[in-house]
Amino acid sequence: MTSSPSETETTIHPLQEFADEVAGAVGGEAEITFDTVKVRVSPDQWVSALTTARDDLGLVFFSFLSAVDWSAEVEVGDPPGEGVEERFEMLAAVGDLGAGRRVIFTTDLPKDSPVIPSLVDVYSGANWHEREAHEMFGIDFDGHPDLAHLYLPDSFVGNPLRKSYPLLSREVKPWPGTVDVEAMPGGGDETDETSEGPSEENPEA
Amino acid sequence: MVLDQDLVRHLAESSVSVELETEDMTLNIGPQHPSTHGVLRLVARVDGERAFDVHPVIGYMHRGYEKLSEVRTYPQITALVNRIDWVSGYANEVPFIVAAEKLMEIEVPERAQYIRLILTEMARISSHLVFMASYPLELGAATPLFFALRERERVLDLLEGVTGGRFHPNFNRIGGVKPAYGSGSSTRKVIQDLPAGFLAETRDAMDKVTVVVDEINSLVAGNEIILARTKGIGVLPPEVAASYGVSGPNLRASGVKFDLRKVEDYLPYHLFDFEVPVGENGDCWDRWHVRLLEIRQSVRIIQQAIDGIPSGPLQAKVPKVIKVPKGETYVRAENPKGEMGYYLVSNGGQGPYRLKIRSASFSNISILPWILEGVLVPDIIAIMGSLDFVLGDVDR
Amino acid sequence: MGFLTDLFSNFWVSLAGKLLLVGLMIPLVGLVIGFAELKLSAKMQARIGPYFAGGRWGWAQLIADGVKFFQKEDLIPAEADKPVFKIAPILVLVSTVGLLVVIPFGPGLIFRDLSVGVFYALAISSLSTIGILMAGWSSANKYSLMGGLRAAGQLIAYELPLVLAVVGAVILAGTMSMAGIVEAQISSGYPYVIFQFLGFGVFMIAALAELTRIPFDMPIAESELVMGYLTEYSGFRFLFFFLAEFANMFSLSAIAVTLFLGGYWLPGISEDVLAWAGPVILMAKAFLLVFIMIWFRWTFPRFREDQLQSLSWKILVPIALANIAITAVFKVVF
Repeated sequence: MTSSPSETETTIHPLQEFADEVAGAVGGEAEITFDTVKVRVSPDQWVSALTTARDDLGLVFFSFLSAVDWSAEVEVGDPPGEGVEERFEMLAAVGDLGAGRRVIFTTDLPKDSPVIPSLVDVYSGANWHEREAHEMFGIDFDGHPDLAHLYLPDSFVGNPLRKSYPLLSREVKPWPGTVDVEAMPGGGDETDETSEGPSEENPEA
Repeated sequence: MVLDQDLVRHLAESSVSVELETEDMTLNIGPQHPSTHGVLRLVARVDGERAFDVHPVIGYMHRGYEKLSEVRTYPQITALVNRIDWVSGYANEVPFIVAAEKLMEIEVPERAQYIRLILTEMARISSHLVFMASYPLELGAATPLFFALRERERVLDLLEGVTGGRFHPNFNRIGGVKPAYGSGSSTRKVIQDLPAGFLAETRDAMDKVTVVVDEINSLVAGNEIILARTKGIGVLPPEVAASYGVSGPNLRASGVKFDLRKVEDYLPYHLFDFEVPVGENGDCWDRWHVRLLEIRQSVRIIQQAIDGIPSGPLQAKVPKVIKVPKGETYVRAENPKGEMGYYLVSNGGQGPYRLKIRSASFSNISILPWILEGVLVPDIIAIMGSLDFVLGDVDR
Repeated sequence: MGFLTDLFSNFWVSLAGKLLLVGLMIPLVGLVIGFAELKLSAKMQARIGPYFAGGRWGWAQLIADGVKFFQKEDLIPAEADKPVFKIAPILVLVSTVGLLVVIPFGPGLIFRDLSVGVFYALAISSLSTIGILMAGWSSANKYSLMGGLRAAGQLIAYELPLVLAVVGAVILAGTMSMAGIVEAQISSGYPYVIFQFLGFGVFMIAALAELTRIPFDMPIAESELVMGYLTEYSGFRFLFFFLAEFANMFSLSAIAVTLFLGGYWLPGISEDVLAWAGPVILMAKAFLLVFIMIWFRWTFPRFREDQLQSLSWKILVPIALANIAITAVFKVVF
């Protein structure tokens, strides 16, 4: 389990206990990344994990469902760097309505045939989110009542959010990489090193 | 003649009714429509006055923010992101910037946090005033529109005075808020703080906002017709709301006392004393009433923030070229429309590897097929208006 | 003076004069009330209203609008039923003009004093219902038809309270002639609203519904109906409907004033002063009621169609019937 780099080995993250509780209940692996609890499960545990989360852990609020396309070669933006495993990482964020605890359940799907059972019977809100993930990533949701296009026109071909899908405007003008820093009008760069505030006394007080 | 038992049973069981062949009409509400808050299309089958099988068709405003943000640097995305929910422009930027700052582990100076909080609450007041203006108009009352928008102008003027933009402030920078530079040759390097008189004018504007909210309340609250049009209409049970992901005032109107400002730490709300208004029945009236009460609470927060604002720098020290180290995080905030969150996956580059934008209105209107089932046609407008969504937020 | 009375004692001359006067009244009243609506609604909404047309007051705004409407192209939808489409606005306007005929503007100042004045007024005001139905049907537009049918349903539903409300005043006066009712109020010394407040209230609400004004404008302002039965009308045909609505506001208010508020009479004013002050007093009272109608329009939202119908059938009709019963009992007993 990783924790924020600034913590020493002896301090326990305040969310650790909760993360362990969730991981234990669903049979997954917990990770705390920058104050966010992520619990990794396998694809066949997907529905049961979220059902447990809803029924036993009180995480009744459905936040979002989406995916991340991890690819070594990308058409847009910068590649992820060395040693990344090519996969679709599914994300389902749920939370409770009391203390505001939240968990992002995640699972990995293979790139060539991403299929995962649908969550519409567990959380009704998953309906639209899965439609969006389907049209944007090409992920197939087993058991979804109607995987029609949500945002894109019905005749649209392709999955725009895949890293292999180019951004047409960038075909014309290449990705600037590290040199896209323009000076702001009025002299200073907003990313200037010096950022001293005004004098101590509050002029408005 | 004695009727045998089978025949009697058959006659008793068969329903002898003439089925009137009535065709139901498919009604298309939108995408151009005064009441749909933008380009939303509802395809409804209407039988007489009742609507069945309502399908929202969205995507007319899809701008591809998530794909775009993969090719933008963080300051550029700040400019993009406040166009998601354009009515409350400033509030969209904050969770994104906080997410980036979390990954960079930057501590934002207190004064900047207070300024962010004040501007976010002003954005909330602005958004709810638009609701106060447009919802009675959809029911037929034309006058609250003018009162609410007139006071909103004050708030927008204040926002413009500080940030330079009424709707799209683009005021956040990684590490704080944007310090203003002078424009003359001698003042170019002098960093200016908030404009002179801003805090005093804000106090004044908050008083006026309180007055107009009371006026609109008196105009609307006791009105029999408004009560008849909104009480008991569009009841949303809390379990259904939670399952669909409905958040914000819509969820609180159903009786769930849950406000992200109280449980998340993206801004220092724990320093201020404010209540979370909750409704009883989850009908349209409660959704109206909760937003009205929220304006009053926002005024309260702003007044406390103005009284306690500390002095100090406006932005932490950040490197010249911003590169956010590798990591992932999800930061969510209480936007005026509901829960707005950013799931930021960073690779160490100048822009995100993946930015998932969780927008409030998208989940809020996913409930439309459920809530509009079997509803009278005029009530469709009343219910949709009470959900208070913005198409930019839905379609991203 | 002798010459004029001789001239006007000729039937045809006086007929022509009356027609001219009635014909002029409609646009004039419509203009004045329309302008009042624009300015009053602006004041209620913290705006200024018409400002540029005709000096700082903007008094020429509606005149300019009238000219604009007249010079527009006459658009008739291809599928529309042309004769019906053309007649509909005229029918609505005719019913408005017909109403003005029986309003007593002063002692003896009435276009035609029918002995069944009240009956005639109510009958002719319901002609506009047919006009609206014709407009909705002939527009060859699904939504206009829906609006027209909804309007017809609403107008028929509210005819009944309208009629029942005036019965109380008729019982008290003992006559159906409009001039007779005013004279009865003069001789009894008090306007009938003092005892007929229920009838007055029901009449005003029903009048608002007859005019399809907010809070009863579901047929027009329904979300999917654009302008309801008025959708396909433009140019001077729309102007007819528009003027008819404002003139109808005046007519119905004038009838309410005549039946309930004492007409052209104010207590303490002698008969010969009333000869010239009568019209002024009547106009003033009628405009007061018109002001209230405008006030309601910009304050209230609109009723849903079923709420509107239940208001009429379940609330207004029983109140009006109770009013008749009570009035009759009182008339007999006292």
